[in-house]
Amino acid sequence: MQTDLPERREAEGLSQGGLADAVGVTRQTINAIERDRYDPSLALAFALADYFDCRIEELFEPSVDDE
Amino acid sequence: MSDTLHPAVETVAGSPRRYKRVVYGIFTVGIVGLFAGMLFDMALAGTTIYLLGAWLGTGLAAVLPRVSPATLTDERDTATHRHASGLTIRLIGGLGLGIVPALYALEAADIVTITPTMWGAIWMGSALFLVWGGCYTYVTRFQ
Repeated sequence: MQTDLPERREAEGLSQGGLADAVGVTRQTINAIERDRYDPSLALAFALADYFDCRIEELFEPSVDDE
Repeated sequence: MSDTLHPAVETVAGSPRRYKRVVYGIFTVGIVGLFAGMLFDMALAGTTIYLLGAWLGTGLAAVLPRVSPATLTDERDTATHRHASGLTIRLIGGLGLGIVPALYALEAADIVTITPTMWGAIWMGSALFLVWGGCYTYVTRFQ
């Protein structure tokens, strides 16, 4: 799953740990999502989209490998 | 960090990475202790170290995520455990289906002998599948 999470997070001046605390996961999970090593659950994707006040499909899009 | 936690517990419970290292480290010490006891003919000492490690590790793994204000485990850990469990079952299933019937046939033809250790492994794999089947049924029907 491709994401612009790092750009959005940095634009807000947030660390990975700060974002992790905000959505209730570990920093390692945010890191794994940003490095395309973990696809978040729907609940976490909603929480992230809610945090950045955007739609899920604006935050994530399928990688070529996912299709 | 919570004021009610002992400082040593706070240190372990403050970071997911440290928590996992400590819990897995305690289990590792217990298992190494067990094998060292068997190897050096000190079974009682080895078993004691193993039980202490198993109980302490299990206790910490069960309690710390509940009492720590930090997020120590999350959905990715759950997904990793599910993936690893599925891989384990596929691996043991593949080995069992691919090798055990051939072993029976080879033993019947007096080409190989299935040793007691091999029988132990076969029974253990079969028991693991039974437990997995029970858990699968439970999850399918009740969760």
